[in-house]
Parts: sequence; C-alpha cells; structure tokens
Amino acid sequence: MNRREFLQCAAILVSGSSAAQLGFSLNEEQKVYLATAPDFNTTPVNYFTPLQRKIIAAMVEVIIPRTDTPGAIDAGVPVFVELMASQWLNEEEAAIFNAGLADIEVRIPLAFGSPFHALVPEQQLEIMQALEDEASGSPWYDFGNIQRDFVSDAPFICQLKELTIWGFFTSREGGSQVLRYDPMPMYFDGNIPLKQNDSSWLTVL
Amino acid sequence: MLEHTQYDFDAIVVGSGISGGWAAKELTEKGLNVLVLERGKPLQAGSGYLGEHAPPWKVPYQGKRPRELYEEEYPVQSKVWHSFNETSRQFWNNDKENPYATDEGKPFLWARADVVGGRSLIWGRQTYRFSEEDFRANAVDGHGIPWPITYDEIAPWYSYVEKFVGISGKSEGLSQLPDSEFQKPMPWFALEETIHGRLRKKAPDITLTSARVSILTEDLPGRKACHYCGPCYRGCSTGSYFSSQASTLPAATATGNMTLRANSVVERLEYDADSGKISRVHVIDTQTKERMAFSSRIVFLCASTVGSTQILMQSASDSFPDGLANSSGVLGKYMMDHTLGISGLGLFLDNMDSYYHGNRPAGLYIPRFRNVGAQDEDADFLRGYGYQTATLRQDWQTGFNTKGFGAGLKDKLRKPGPWIFALAGFSECLPRESNRMYLSKRQVDRFGMPLAAFDFEWSDNEINARKDATKQAQRILRAAGAVLALPGQEEMSVPGEGIHEMGTARMGDDPGKSILNKWNQAHDVPNLFVTDGSFMTSASCVNPSLTYMAFTARACDYAVRQLNEGLI
Repeated sequence: MNRREFLQCAAILVSGSSAAQLGFSLNEEQKVYLATAPDFNTTPVNYFTPLQRKIIAAMVEVIIPRTDTPGAIDAGVPVFVELMASQWLNEEEAAIFNAGLADIEVRIPLAFGSPFHALVPEQQLEIMQALEDEASGSPWYDFGNIQRDFVSDAPFICQLKELTIWGFFTSREGGSQVLRYDPMPMYFDGNIPLKQNDSSWLTVL
Repeated sequence: MLEHTQYDFDAIVVGSGISGGWAAKELTEKGLNVLVLERGKPLQAGSGYLGEHAPPWKVPYQGKRPRELYEEEYPVQSKVWHSFNETSRQFWNNDKENPYATDEGKPFLWARADVVGGRSLIWGRQTYRFSEEDFRANAVDGHGIPWPITYDEIAPWYSYVEKFVGISGKSEGLSQLPDSEFQKPMPWFALEETIHGRLRKKAPDITLTSARVSILTEDLPGRKACHYCGPCYRGCSTGSYFSSQASTLPAATATGNMTLRANSVVERLEYDADSGKISRVHVIDTQTKERMAFSSRIVFLCASTVGSTQILMQSASDSFPDGLANSSGVLGKYMMDHTLGISGLGLFLDNMDSYYHGNRPAGLYIPRFRNVGAQDEDADFLRGYGYQTATLRQDWQTGFNTKGFGAGLKDKLRKPGPWIFALAGFSECLPRESNRMYLSKRQVDRFGMPLAAFDFEWSDNEINARKDATKQAQRILRAAGAVLALPGQEEMSVPGEGIHEMGTARMGDDPGKSILNKWNQAHDVPNLFVTDGSFMTSASCVNPSLTYMAFTARACDYAVRQLNEGLI
C-alpha cells in the first residue's frame, strides 16, 4: 500500500458513515471521529470581555510573534487561551489567571497611559519581562517540569506562557508551518541530515 | 450425562483480548462452534478507532488532559499516561462505573479495557519468549512451585503463534532470551548505532538489540506493514500491530463458527457435581441487565488474570466452597506483576546533525544480563531484569518553561535539542503467597457482584533488583557516552502498573498446590481451561503476552484432542 492509497483509505474511513454507524453504547461525546472534527481552537467561546480579548491577543503575540512564519494570533492561540481559561483551568488556577489579567487591565493604563494592546512593542516586552522577573522563583521554571501536570500555583505569566506555547505548537499553523508535521510517514529512517535551520517534527501526542 | 446435542455451543470463551482471541481462532478453526463472551462494549476494527491519525489541533484541549473528567471517572486508567488520553479513552474502563477495592495503604493499579478486543488494543506490543532458565527458576531457587513444562515443550508453540502474530526483531542467539520467528527489525537512530558501538567496547556484557514487537515490518495476509504514524494505542486500522481485533477475531469470524456477544459479563460458572464439569455459563447483559445462561462442552477462561480469577471465586458452590476448581486453596494467591520505571536517563550531544523520518513505535532492548546462568556474587537479589529503551530528541515540549519572549524564544523552541536515551527497567517479581486478590466482603458492583480486591506489596527482592537496575543503568549510560546521566525515579512502581498481573490460578503438577495442570486444564474440572496470565507459575522479567498466546494455542490443541477422544 503506498501513501496515496493509504490516505484514500483513511478518507473513506473518516467519511462519516462509519462513525455514525457505531451507535452501540458509546456516549455522544465519544462518537466523534476526531480526525474529521473541527479544529479545537474554533470552538465557540465567550468568556473574556472584548477588551480582555485584545489584551490577551497582544500578550500571546509578544510570546510567539509572527516572523516569516505564523505567530500566536495566526495560530488561533487567543481563542485557545480563552477556551482553556474558561473550561480547563481549575478554580485555583482560574483565580490566579483572572487576577493576573485584571491586573494588566487596570494597572497598565495607569502606569503607561494606554491599555496593553495599544502600547508599542518595546513597552509590551518590558511589561512581560517584568512579570517574568517577578515570577522567576516559581517551580514552573524548574528543570524537569515537562508538561505532564500543570503547576497549579504557577503565576499568571507562567500560565499564559504555557498555554501559549502549547496552544501554538499543537495548532495547525504552529504544528505544520513552524514545526514539521507528517501524519503518514510510511517508513522510518533514523539517520537523515538535520540542517542548521530545520525545525523539529510535531510529535504526535 | 448430557447428550452432545443438548449443548448450545461446543465451547465458550470468556474474553476477547489477547488470550480469548487466540482461543476463538484455534477452536473455531478446529471446527468447534464457539461463543465468545466479552464484558466490554462492541467495537468495529478501523471505524471504531476514533482517535486514529487525528492531529493535535483536532483533539480536545489540543491534547491537554481533561483533568476533572479523569479524576472523576477515570482516576485509575488515566494513570496509564503512555496510552490513555482523549484519542483512546473509548477503549478503557470507566472506573466510576466499574470500581475495585484495595487494602488501605496498599495501592494497586488495575488497568482494564472495556471493549471487544480488550487490552490487545492498548497493550505495549513488546513480545519476548521466556527462556529455559525462566521455566526452571522456581525449581532452582525454591520460590513458588516448579513449572510443569519445559522450554522445549512450549518452543514449537511459540513458533506457531509468532508466525501468525508477526514479530519484528533481531536474532541474537542468547540463552536468556531465545530468538523468535522474526520479520526484519526496524531501523535504528544514528545515536543508537553510536551507543551500540561504544557498549561493545566498554560494556561487552551488555547486548543492545531491537525491541521485539508485534508490529509488522512486512505485510501479512489482511494486515499491512507499519506506516510509522506513531501512537499505536489509538488503534490501527491497517492491523499493523497485533490485536485480536486485527488478527485472531477476523480469523475466527472467517470460519463461520464464532458467535461474539459483547456487553456480556459472566456472573458465574455452574458446576454440575454429577458430571464433575461446568454445565452452564451464567451471563448478565451489561446494558439490559437481563440474565441468561449458555451451555457448552468446554469453557475457556481468557478474561484476564483478575477477571478470570474473579469469575472462579464467584463460582463457589457446595462442591467448591472456596472458589471453583480451588481444592488446593491457592486461587487468587501468588499474584505477580513486573516492577518498572525509568532506571536512568542520558543526555547525548552525539549525532546532533542527524535526524529522522517517521515515528518508530518501539525502542531498543537490553536483555537480562544479571544472574544469567548462575547467581552473580555481587547481586543481593534473585533473578533479573531487562531494559526497554527510548531514544528521543528534545523539542519544545521539554523546553516550554524557558525564560524569554519573542522571535528568539520561538526559534529556540522550534528546533530540536540534544538527544535523550532512557533505560526503563522491568524486573522479575517472585511468586509470594501473601500477594493476592480476593472478593470484597463489603462492596458490590452495579450487578450486585462482589468487587475484586487486592492485597499486594513488593518484597525486598524486587526492591533490591530495582536498585541494582538503577545502578547498572548509570554504568551503561556512562559507557554509552552520555554527557549527563540522571538516575531514574527512586520509588517503586505501584503494583499492577506493569499491567502484567499474573499467577492467581497457577499451573503445576501437584493438584494440592496448583489450580491448573500443564495443559491449562483445571485439575478439579476437566472441561475448564484458563489460559490468560492467571496460569503463570513464575513471571520472568520479560513481557508475558506472547507466552499467554503460545499456551492458549497449545491448550486449544489439547482440549480438542481430548474432546475427540471422548475424554472430556
């Protein structure tokens, strides 16, 4: 079976009828055939205010900006962050997140004369760096914190960095245009050249 | 005596996983009319693999685990971090629906599937033969009881199942790890070749070989060679790894002799004191709660170690007050599991300009090298361990907590970091009477049946073997040229975490000390066979599923010969 045949097979499999015929006792949520599901970061969400949405978009873009490749906004990270803040963070984490966001919302216009998203990049970076300096003692930065668990008492800036970096590299744009993604490699070769500028594969999790 | 024609089926097989699939295939191919009972949900091979080939951006929370749901409904299964997540959850047991009990202060992790195909869908696929030494171990050092069978007796059955399963690997000619019938091995990373070369010079007692896995590198009828997509545990619609769904159940279906009934939990086996045999299998439909019973000439219990032992215990009667076929009193005792965990992790700066294509779904393997042939003088433990290895290139997932922002951070995170080569030790566990499962006296499940309960602790032998594995891993990683060698975690794995629970209905020649004879047939009940991990008399340090398959095929052959000769 070559790659083309393979993808055709996969296309037939995911054409919908098979999943619909499943029925049985799987519950509704389990019947979704994931490969044909909409991208997660297109899920409707209405958690932030319009102002908060602008601030978050600006902040995630400071973390992962558009360069010659897509940045955080291009990759739907603001929506991902809003979804995670509303659905995924637990009470303790959400309280830290909401307080951190409220702090930016209130403090920055007083200190800088404009809301975060309206500041020049140098000022935005300065603010983010100050947040990181303040948080630098958090165990979130420890060697060995490798993504298995979320550090529940991590400061707002760490939460935002984690959600941004995760949301970016597991997005369609970040995963396939910034990293490299091949869903159907067909063979394994353990020794091919890695050039200076090559990206990692998106490892399928 | 019942007449031949009065039976609903020739054989009833309980369970549709690795062992049940083999029993179904072998018995139907020999012409028997077989009912397979599976307590889990129906599942179609291929179209039922809901998470297969889904990119991370399609997965809920883009792969971040829904913690609240898991804590609430999957507190046990979600601990199997390597293969439980939103792309595979539909295969697994819901712990809230189907709980079990543990003794206070003695945790036990019972990983369970809940679909047709059982754990064959989500297993680790590592496939090794037990050695002659493994089958002699109990007799030599006096732990447990002697195996009633030698390596030479089972070797042809290993070959028989291996040809059908399809195992990729490399022949090494080692006595402690006999070679299987191999398909070609998967290629290696450049770093692995580098390490291999160094170990040959600096640690010549260590063999570094390809992991032997039930993943095809060459097509077999109806199944395709691996396409290296990576996450096998999501299910494989090309049948590239061995599962009963891809392999044995289709073979059984093709005979026209199999009836498969999902959602069917076995309540008990009815023992007929007049004939001395199982007369009926009592079943509850998990969806309708309807009760029913089926009769057959023979019964194969393949419901997993815990499942089958639980059924035997629940089938106590006047004839067998302590559990069916338990005149010896050993049912539920002598439970074993492998201890496992990272023994060492090395950082490497070699082959930095070498990369890879494809996701190889297996690492390498370092076969047992301690206490081989004779007890090592410096070893404070009996028997041994092997290492499964993993080679990976660091990426954004190991560096996301880096300081900094902007284009520089983005560029750093997108590029590969240094290599990691990790050793995960799997140690043998001695059979001990005190490690056991039993039926809870207080708690019942949603069908009113007592919960399975566990009372299991590691002994000093397992603890010392694990310490030794950590120490030796440092030696190996240094010899391999690691620039940094980190020791593995100190704590022992939770009993059950190896998902190799076995031994609770062990086989032996002495009916006073064992449940089964050398043919997996109950000493007390001639038409009852148990061929999942519960028959295991000792554990070796290698992954056991291949051994279940070989013994199942051999038991089926024996059972049908006995039937034909009118002896059962």
